[in-house]
Amino acid sequence: MSTQTLTNETLQAPAASRWRSLVTQESVATVVVSLIVAAAVILPLLVLIVSSFRVLDPGGFDTTWGLDNYRTLYTDRVIPKAFVNTLIVCAGSTLIATFFGVALAWVNARTNCPGRGRMEPFNLVPFFLSPFVGAIAWHNLAGGKVGLINSWGRDFLGMQGNLINVDNLYGVIWVTGLFFAPLVYLFVIGSLRRMDPSLEDSARTTGAGLVRTAMTVTLPLVAPGILSGAIIVFVTTAGEFGVPFKLSAPYGWQTLTTQIFSKAVGDDANIYLGAAMSMALGVITVLLIWIQQRYIAPRSFTTVTGKGFRPNVIDLGGWKWVAFAFNLGFILVAVVLPILCLFIVSLHPVWQSRIILHDLTLHNYVRTLFFWAPDHIAAATNGIYNSFILAFAGATIAMILSLVVSYMIHRTKGFGARLLDFLCVVPVGFPGIVIAMGVLVTYIKTPIYATLWILLLGYITRFFPYGQRNVSSVMLAISEELDQSSRMAGASWFTTLRRITIPLLKPGIFAGWVLLFIIFLRELSISIILYSSGTETLSVGVYYLTNYENDTLTAALSVTQTVMLLACVYIFRRIAGREALTV
Amino acid sequence: MSAMVTLDRLSKNFGAERAVRDVSLSVAQGEFVTLLGPSGCGKTTTLRCIAGLEHPDAGEIRIGRDVVAAPEQGIYLAPEHRNIGMVFQSYAVWPHMTVFDNVAYGLRVRRVRGADIKTRTRRALELVGLEHLAGRYATKLSGGQRQRVALARAIVYEPRVILFDEPLSNLDAKLREQMRVELVRLQQEVGITSVYVTHDQTEALVMSDRVVVMDKGVIQQIGDPHDIYARPRNAFVANFIGATNLLEGVLRGRNGDICDVEIALGESHAPVRIKALGGNVVAGDQRMIVSVRPEDLSIHLQAPDGDGGNVFEGEVIDTVYLGNFLECNVRVGTQEIGVQLDHYMQLRPQQKVFVAFEPDRGLCLTE
Repeated sequence: MSTQTLTNETLQAPAASRWRSLVTQESVATVVVSLIVAAAVILPLLVLIVSSFRVLDPGGFDTTWGLDNYRTLYTDRVIPKAFVNTLIVCAGSTLIATFFGVALAWVNARTNCPGRGRMEPFNLVPFFLSPFVGAIAWHNLAGGKVGLINSWGRDFLGMQGNLINVDNLYGVIWVTGLFFAPLVYLFVIGSLRRMDPSLEDSARTTGAGLVRTAMTVTLPLVAPGILSGAIIVFVTTAGEFGVPFKLSAPYGWQTLTTQIFSKAVGDDANIYLGAAMSMALGVITVLLIWIQQRYIAPRSFTTVTGKGFRPNVIDLGGWKWVAFAFNLGFILVAVVLPILCLFIVSLHPVWQSRIILHDLTLHNYVRTLFFWAPDHIAAATNGIYNSFILAFAGATIAMILSLVVSYMIHRTKGFGARLLDFLCVVPVGFPGIVIAMGVLVTYIKTPIYATLWILLLGYITRFFPYGQRNVSSVMLAISEELDQSSRMAGASWFTTLRRITIPLLKPGIFAGWVLLFIIFLRELSISIILYSSGTETLSVGVYYLTNYENDTLTAALSVTQTVMLLACVYIFRRIAGREALTV
Repeated sequence: MSAMVTLDRLSKNFGAERAVRDVSLSVAQGEFVTLLGPSGCGKTTTLRCIAGLEHPDAGEIRIGRDVVAAPEQGIYLAPEHRNIGMVFQSYAVWPHMTVFDNVAYGLRVRRVRGADIKTRTRRALELVGLEHLAGRYATKLSGGQRQRVALARAIVYEPRVILFDEPLSNLDAKLREQMRVELVRLQQEVGITSVYVTHDQTEALVMSDRVVVMDKGVIQQIGDPHDIYARPRNAFVANFIGATNLLEGVLRGRNGDICDVEIALGESHAPVRIKALGGNVVAGDQRMIVSVRPEDLSIHLQAPDGDGGNVFEGEVIDTVYLGNFLECNVRVGTQEIGVQLDHYMQLRPQQKVFVAFEPDRGLCLTE
């Protein structure tokens, strides 16, 4: 309303004052921020598209324009297979993640399963940990020759060969599925928990039994949430680099991400071919995210009522212990066993697939943590240092950007707001590795290449929408009249922002900051493309150790990273309460 | 008329809280019975026990001749096997189905033939005046329309009983009044036994054949609307149904139906002797309460003539103008009495007035 009146007044005002009224704090800030966001988001993608049409000549020095890169995508010996493998992995882990996510959400929200309150936070833990570390842990736990389970099988059960083997595509599917189950869980549990119980009650009184009510009322009502979660898992898996790199690539199963990595950053690097492969990956993910945002998210049903009713809880009878075992089992295989196994491995000088008690040592931690130790490994110690700088600076800058952008989207109207809204969705559609390729081809010839700045740019571009969503959700819940009253009381736009808006948004800003801090602390697929010697990150350190050093050093740094992430989650939950840290 | 719903000493606890205590009630075939009471009085819990959505802890529930719940004998019939219809406060119209599919749901569950589903659903929609919206999704409907869908959904398969859980409380005042009339018309047309829960006394008085007033999980009074209003059994019912003045006093004598009561007005005032209907009060120096409704009191500027009338002398505290009448609060000693007056009356604060009422308009009640 007030903008309407303002515009009318401006139209009637003489030209000079109309010009002056355009140059307000608000509009200047809007334009500047829009330009920054547009440059950060659009430029890398544009350059990526352009680069994918540049063909490197056989000598490797000159480029010509052409479609050869795209032709290579299907004539190459490996890439088409990698493409198929990617689809198999995505489909498989989406199935597993959806199964675990929906089943766990249902058990926790709607049944009388014992110990629900205690287990609930642990169900979310894999979401905050690094899937790459998860893959390393599962490799040590159930890898072909080295796996602890398999060596126990041989030692104690007298078995030949392997009990199970995760060093293949199934292993990739299993580990990614486990780690991304919380994504589906988060999408589903809210609507299960807040659903108006009379929606189900009225099906019962109308004559439908428990099962029929579940199939015709409950399930259709949460279906959009399940589908959204499944699509997000599919897309995230398509962009996942660490798990296939550790579990399947060394044994002959390449995926698109491992191929982009080895073709674009290997010794005979061809970033233009990498750009074309990134385009292929990006087109798939963007399409899926577009479908999710356009057709599925709007179909979510608002089933919440004002009445503070508890949701219907089903008495499982004796089956509640089955549900309990199921939930405990998930926590065991997704959190406890992998971390425990890594910890055991990290205490050995050399890992021989056996626990050797008299050999236990903390020397691996000395070599990976203490940069003053004479035999420290620079990639690891640098990684810790760099990751903290990147996480702290990245989360802070991204949240400032999120704040301003959210403010513009929700508190100003017109074309700029809609453009910004669109720009904030775009990076979500592309896997980190694709954005990283865009940033690489864009800035490779500038001074920021091979510095931490290029990593910072890649991180913020890809992940600031996550922070923005946190701020936006709080901003939408706060009445616009609160800051309009401040303007009425005579405060300027900036004073209002500083004195009214930001203090009100504190919980959202804080939640977003911690989420980004955690994401940046474990980030791999952007870092692996953009790092160079000296700018390793924590996950790159783990990559370096697993590739060039031994299993025990890798395990030590992995445990370190995991402990840091868990500490962040724990501290945050203590400060901000239970429900706060969700996407 | 045979009883359609029978509750026999029904009890339900939530942990230590006794939500429903020994509730016994019989609803006749085709009758419209309302459970009325403040929030937390146990009315909704009673209704949900009838529906089968809550398991009672003791007592028995019969629908028709079937025992549907009797915890002592281990009998509990799931809601879907009770053949009832229910309308919820939040409407609970399924947002993922069209209006037609919502209404047809109960028929499909009952495996009614396809052609019959169509005609019966149409008829139910016509009954609530929504036949033109059959293809619409529930999310595109207004509150009133959703409530009609919920109603059609509950009656389409001709259940034995229909249960209403505060169905009108989410609607705005105008629509609520309109829906009240429509609901009663529909109920009479279909002739279906109805149990209706509300906290709105006007709703209960307007719609019901009988009203059951509940408080703290216990039935306070059962009666037709006139009984409940004119002959409340205790102070709670008198105060909850409509407004009333409750004057504390001591019974000094009883002459047939008329009691002689002494009302204390504090130390500075002499007590006043009045006469009122005896009600359930027995006899002899007993502490009791006289209930007089504001519209049964009159105000006089001079002491009214004649004796035998009940008169208090007091002064005006304030007046509230409500358009169709004037509400006046009068201080009489330590008591405060509300009087409903003709809207032409002019009174100012501190003015000396006399408040009077006829003996047959006051009702003695136990505490």
